[in-house]
Amino acid sequence: MSKPDVDKATTADFLKARSGGAKAALRLAVGVTLVGGVLAIAQAWVCAWIISDVVFNGAGLTEQTPRLLILFALALARFACSAFGETQSATAAAEVHRTLRREVLSHINALGPVGLADRATGETVAALTDSLRAIEPYYSRYLPAASLAALLPSAIFLAVVPYDWISAIVLIVTAPMIPLFMVLIGAGAERLNQRQWRKLARLSGHLLDAIQGLTTLKVFGASRREAANVAAMADDYRRETMGILRLAFLSSLVLEFFASISIALVAVFIGFRLLWGDLSFFNGFFVLLLAPEFYLPLRTLGSAYHSRMEAIGAGERIVALLSLEPAGARPPDSGSVKHVDVDGRDSRIQLDGVSVEFPDGRIGLRSVDLEIIPGETLALVGPSGGGKSMVLNLLLGFVSPSKGHVRVNDLVLDDIDLSCWRDEVTYLPQRPHVFDASIRSNIAMQFDGGPVDGDRLLDAARRAHIDHVISALPEGFDTRLGERGYGLSGGEVQRLALARAFYRDAPIVLIDEATAHLDSESEAIVADGLANLVANRTCVMIAHRSATLQFADRVAVIDDGTVKEITTPSGWITANPTALVEPFSLSPSTGPEGGEP
Amino acid sequence: MSDFLRLLQLMRPYWGWLVLSAFLASVTVLANAALLGTSGWFITAMGLAGVAGVSMNYFTPAAMIRGFAILRTVSRYAERVISHEATLRVLAGLRVWLYKKLEPLAPGALATNRAADLSTRLQGDVDRLEQVFLRFISPIAVALFCGIVLVAFTALWSLDFAIALALLLILSGLVLPLAVERYGRDDARQVARGSVETNIALTDTVEGLADLQSYGAFDQAKRRGHEVADTVVFANWRLARNSAVATAGIGLAAQLAVIAALLILIPLFERGALSGPDLVMLTLLAIAAFEAVMPMPAALLTLSATLASARRIFALADTEPVVKEPARPVPLPVDMTFQFNDVSFSYPGQERAAVRNADLTLAPRRRIGVLGPSGSGKSTLGALALRFFDPTSGSVLLGGVNIRDLSADELRSHIAVASQTDHFFTATIRDNLRIARPTAAPEEIEDACRMAQIHDFIVAQPDGYDTFVGAAGLKLSGGQLRRLTVARAILKDAPILILDEPTEGLDGTVADALLAAVLTGLPDKSILLITHYPVRPELLDEMIVMEDGAIVERRMPPQSSTPDTE
Repeated sequence: MSKPDVDKATTADFLKARSGGAKAALRLAVGVTLVGGVLAIAQAWVCAWIISDVVFNGAGLTEQTPRLLILFALALARFACSAFGETQSATAAAEVHRTLRREVLSHINALGPVGLADRATGETVAALTDSLRAIEPYYSRYLPAASLAALLPSAIFLAVVPYDWISAIVLIVTAPMIPLFMVLIGAGAERLNQRQWRKLARLSGHLLDAIQGLTTLKVFGASRREAANVAAMADDYRRETMGILRLAFLSSLVLEFFASISIALVAVFIGFRLLWGDLSFFNGFFVLLLAPEFYLPLRTLGSAYHSRMEAIGAGERIVALLSLEPAGARPPDSGSVKHVDVDGRDSRIQLDGVSVEFPDGRIGLRSVDLEIIPGETLALVGPSGGGKSMVLNLLLGFVSPSKGHVRVNDLVLDDIDLSCWRDEVTYLPQRPHVFDASIRSNIAMQFDGGPVDGDRLLDAARRAHIDHVISALPEGFDTRLGERGYGLSGGEVQRLALARAFYRDAPIVLIDEATAHLDSESEAIVADGLANLVANRTCVMIAHRSATLQFADRVAVIDDGTVKEITTPSGWITANPTALVEPFSLSPSTGPEGGEP
Repeated sequence: MSDFLRLLQLMRPYWGWLVLSAFLASVTVLANAALLGTSGWFITAMGLAGVAGVSMNYFTPAAMIRGFAILRTVSRYAERVISHEATLRVLAGLRVWLYKKLEPLAPGALATNRAADLSTRLQGDVDRLEQVFLRFISPIAVALFCGIVLVAFTALWSLDFAIALALLLILSGLVLPLAVERYGRDDARQVARGSVETNIALTDTVEGLADLQSYGAFDQAKRRGHEVADTVVFANWRLARNSAVATAGIGLAAQLAVIAALLILIPLFERGALSGPDLVMLTLLAIAAFEAVMPMPAALLTLSATLASARRIFALADTEPVVKEPARPVPLPVDMTFQFNDVSFSYPGQERAAVRNADLTLAPRRRIGVLGPSGSGKSTLGALALRFFDPTSGSVLLGGVNIRDLSADELRSHIAVASQTDHFFTATIRDNLRIARPTAAPEEIEDACRMAQIHDFIVAQPDGYDTFVGAAGLKLSGGQLRRLTVARAILKDAPILILDEPTEGLDGTVADALLAAVLTGLPDKSILLITHYPVRPELLDEMIVMEDGAIVERRMPPQSSTPDTE
C-alpha cells in the first residue's frame, strides 16, 4: 500500500492556507510585537539622550530622573508587549490546531471505515494529536517571525535615516543579503534533506524498531549482535545528519557574519565621524544602540525557519490523511440528499448492477445483482477478498456504488438520508469495538449522558446471554470497559455487541461473521443469541461456519466481485465440505469433516 | 537529583566534546558582549576626542571591534556544529546503553508494561534525554560561565553595579523561570493526563468508526474526543503563555540593568571615578549580558519533564530480568528430546495459572499438536520452552537437562519459533527473513517461503524479496505476516520447531496447504504445533488438548504415519 505522495510544497501551501482561521490572533500578535519594536526605538532614544547629556553636557543624575522614569515605563510597556504578543501567537496556533482537528475528524467521518481500512489506527490518531501539536510552531513562531522580519527592520531603518544616513545605508545594504544567502543555503540543505529524509527517519527510528523486535531477535539468537547494529545505525545517523547540518548551519554563519560585521562597520564609521566632528554623539549612540535590534528579527526568523521545516514534516501526515478519498461516489452529507424516511420493516433491498471501484483502481464488486427479501436471512459465503464485505459496506452506506444502485423499496439508497437509513440497520462487525465507557454506554451506544432505558438494557443483555457476566461484576452495568477498564473475553465482546443489536432493535441486521474468532463453547452461546436476533428480521450475514450458516434461508456465493450462485445452506455445505472453518471442539466427532450437516 | 547525576555519568565518555561545545557557546556570547562594549567605548572616546580636538589611537579599538565581530561569527558556527556533533555522539552512546540494558529483559520483564505503550513512551523519553545536553546542560553551563565572567569584569569598575547585574541575571535567568515552572505544574500534569485521555478517546473514535457510524453515535464520540483534546490544547496554551512571560522577563531585566547602570554609574562619572567611554561600555555590556540567560526559561520549563523521562528510563533499565543465566552453563546435550515435567506457571502479577501441571514429551522427529480454545495456555508453552520465563513449579528439560542450567543463547539456537507476536523490522523481506540465518542462500529463503505458502505473494510484489516491510514499509495482512513468521522459523533450520497458530488469518485452502507442507516436508525436525485450527489428524503423531491451562486430553490419531508410535 503506497501512501499518497505528499510533497513539501503542497504541505507548505496547506499550512499557510490554514492560517486563515487565526488571522485576527496573528495580526494582533504581529501588531503588538511591532509596537514593542517602536517602544525599543524610543528607549534607545531616551537612553542616548541621557548619556550624551551626562557625558558631553556635564548634566548630573538628578536632572535625569524624569527620563529614567520614562525609561522605566518604556521597559514595563515593552515587557507587556513582548509577553502579550507571544501569547497571541500561541493563541493563533491553538486556534488552528482546534479547527484542523475538527476538519480531520469530519474527513474521517466522510471516509468511513472502508476509506480508512488501509491505515493503521495509531497512524491516524497520531495525525490528530502529535502531528497537530507539531505544526503549532508554524503559526506560533514562523508566521509572526516572517512578518516581523520585514516590519521591524523597516521601522528601525526609518528611525535611523534622519539621524545618520550613512549608517542607514550600511543597514539597508547588508539586510537583504541576509535572507538572500539564507534562502540560497537553506534551499541547498533542503534538497539534501528531502533526498535523505527517509533514510534519516529510518536510522532515527531504528532503536525503537529494535526494542519492539527484541523478543523476535532473541528467538533467533540475534539480540546481542543487534547491539552492534544499534551503534552502527546511530553512528550512521550522526554522520548523515552532520553532513546536512554543516551545510544548514552555513546560513546561520552568513546571518551572524553580516549582523556582526555591519554592527562593527556602523560603530567604526560613527567613531570616525565623531572624531572629525561630522556627527553629534547623541545621533551616533542612538544609531549604535539600534543596530543590534535591526538584525534581531532576522535572527529570530532564521531559527523560526527551522520550526517551519519541522512543521512541514509533521504536516505531511495530516495532508496525506485529508487527501484520502472515500470509496464510491457518495458526496458526504451533501445537500442534494433527499430526506426520505424509510421503514426498514418489509423493505425489499436490491443491488442493481452495482460496481464498486476504489480511487486506486482496485475493484470491490463488478455489476452485482442481488435481492434481499423482507424477513429472510441471506448468508454470504466465498473466499476472503471476494467481495462479501463490500456488500455489507454498501448496505451500511460505508461505500457508494461507482455504477448501478442500491435500492430500498425502489428508492435509491444514495438519495436517502444516511442517518435515517442507518436507524433502520443494526451492524455486528467481526471484531466489535469496546469503548472506554461503562457497559451501559457500550450497549446503549450513548456516550454523553443521554437517556438509557433500563428495562430494555436488561432485556437486551439477557437475550444476548451476557446478563450473568454483567451481574457477576461488582459494579454491574456501571463497570468501565475498554482501554483502562475491565477486559472482556472474545466471546463476551461478541455477546456485548449482540446486546447492542438487541437494544437497538432495528428491522435490518447485518452481520460480519460474528463467531469467527471464538472457540466452540463461546460460539454456541453467541449462535444461540444470534438465532434470537435474526428471527423476524431481515438479515444479511457473512458466514464461514456451520454454527452461523444454519440460520440462513438462502446462501449467495460471492467470489471475484460477483455473485457466482444462489443456493441453500445444506446444498452449499455438501458441495464444499472443506471450505468451512470450524473452531476446535472437544467432541470426538469434530475434525475436518465437522461441517457435515 | 540522583537521576540527573546518573545522566551526567552516562555522558562522561563525551565530556571533551561537551566542554568544547559549551566553551564555544560562551565565546560566542562573550564576543558579542565585547563587540557591543568596545563599540560603545570607541564611539564615546572618539566623540570626546573630537569635541576636545585631540587625536587618539583609534587603530587598536577599531581592530578589536572587527576582531570580535569575526570571532563571534566563527565561534557561533563552530559551536553549532560541535554541539550537534556532541549531541549525536551522546545519542549514539545512550541508545547502545539502553539497548544493552533492555536486551536481557525481553520479553519477560518488559511484558508487564503493555508493549505499544512502552514503545511510544520510550520514544518520547529517549528523545528528551538525547536533547538534554543541547537544551539543558549547555544553556546552564553557558549562563553560569558567561554570567560570572561579565559580572567579574564589571566589578573591576563598580562592585555595586556588578552586584545589581548579578541579581538581575539570577532573577530573570533562574528565579523567574523556576517560579513560572512551579506555577505551571498543574497544567503540565493536565497535559500529561489529558494526552492519555485524548489518545484513548480518539482511538475509540477511529477504531470504533464502523460501530459508531452504523449506530449513529459518531457525533457523540466526536464531541467527546474534541472535548478532552481541547483541554490539552488549552493547558498547552497556558504553558506557552507562562513561557512568554518568562522570556519577556529577561528582556525586562536587561532594560532594568540599563537603568541600574545609569543610576549607579552616573554618580561615579560625576565624581570622576569613571570615564565617559567606560560608562557607555558598561551600560552596553549590561544589555549584552542577558543573551547568556536567554535560553534559560526554555531549559528550566522542561526541567521536570526531562527528569521524569530520566527517572522512567532508569527505572526500566534497572528492572531485574525474570530469568537468570546459569553461572556455569552445562554443555548442550546431544539428545534433543524436549520435556515438560509437571510444569505450572502463572505470569508475574497474575493469580490465575496460565499452565497447570503440564506433562509433555516431544521426542526427536515427532509432531505434536497442542489444540484448544484461545486463552487456554497453549502459547505459554512456547514462551516456557524458549525460557522467556521459568516455570513456577516443575521443570522443562532438554535431553534430560533442566533448561535453567543451559546457556539461554545455546538453547534458543536449537529451537525455532513462529509466534503470534513476531516483529517485522523496517527492512526488506529478505533481511527480515535473514535474521533467522544471516548466511542463508537465496534458494534456501525461497524454499522456506514456498513451504510457508508466501513465495508467490512475495514475487508478485514489484520489488520481490527486496520489498520493504515494517513500520515504514509495505503493509502486510495478518495472514501474510503469519506466513512470513513461519518461513522465518523454517529458515532457522533448528532441530525443534514450534509453530504458534500458524494458520490464523488464512482461509481453509491455504491453511491446509501450509500445514501439510510443513508437517510432511521437514522430516528431520521435531514439531510442536499450537493451534485451534482443525488440522488433519494423520499429519500428527500425537494430539494434546489444553483447556484453561491444563492438558485435558491426549489422543493418538487414528491413522498415524510414524512407525515409532506404540
